[in-house]
Amino acid sequence: MKLYIGGAYQGQLELARAENPDALILEDFHEAVRDAMRRGEEARAFAQGVVAAYPEAVIVANEVGAGVVPVEAQERAFREAVGRALCVVAQAAQQVTRVVCGIGVRIK
Amino acid sequence: MIVLVTGGSGCGKSTWAERLIAALPEERRVYVATMRVCDGESVQRVARHRAQRAHLGFATIECEQNLAAAEIPQGSVVLLEDLVNLAANEMFSGGDVSRIVPALNHLARRCSHLVMVTNDVFSDGVCYDESTRAYLRALAEINRSAAALADCVVEVVYSIPVALKGALPCV
Repeated sequence: MKLYIGGAYQGQLELARAENPDALILEDFHEAVRDAMRRGEEARAFAQGVVAAYPEAVIVANEVGAGVVPVEAQERAFREAVGRALCVVAQAAQQVTRVVCGIGVRIK
Repeated sequence: MIVLVTGGSGCGKSTWAERLIAALPEERRVYVATMRVCDGESVQRVARHRAQRAHLGFATIECEQNLAAAEIPQGSVVLLEDLVNLAANEMFSGGDVSRIVPALNHLARRCSHLVMVTNDVFSDGVCYDESTRAYLRALAEINRSAAALADCVVEVVYSIPVALKGALPCV
């Protein structure tokens, strides 16, 4: 498993595709976490399920936790859930790449 | 050793800071809790953090404001969590945000090890009202002063520590 993260539109998906042409890519993972929340699933358990089901996948997500804490409880819960879920993925991944302006920085 | 830990929400800052504390000497571990507990969400958060650090044998000192007045024994190993809440409490509950940096300097001299946790809240591109902007400016200045004071600054990115200043401590 590999993880590519970055702020919105930083080129994480393009870099993931370029570096892993043959891999299964699960993009917009943060939105998958949002959907899981709507279904009432706990974020960590959801991420563990994905990790178990697709151990060879490349996961691509936006970093969403680096702003002012939102007034809306729902939005706060979303940021928290994305954080918890991505901690699970990052721990399971052999490689984690953070993308800024299209440039990948390997942090794991 | 003085360490500043930063990162976004839910990214594992506390967990990493606690692992760092666990790697430091066991004597006189003090947890300085700054969060105002005012609703179900904060009660839950406190309970989660308490359970998470239960095995570390911390004495907990509640300090919503005026860090300089907190009675922290000389030579303690201190985990201060966190600067975001401390700054908000000083700023929006009749305190004085300018007393935080001198208090951090004082605390750094008093303890044997100091681990400060803050939060990256600066990168959402939203233009906030003047009072929120003033808060962000104040917090950014506190973070910069804390980073200058620290031997080591670590950003935790979804559980992965990334050294921004100094060598990454072994945890």
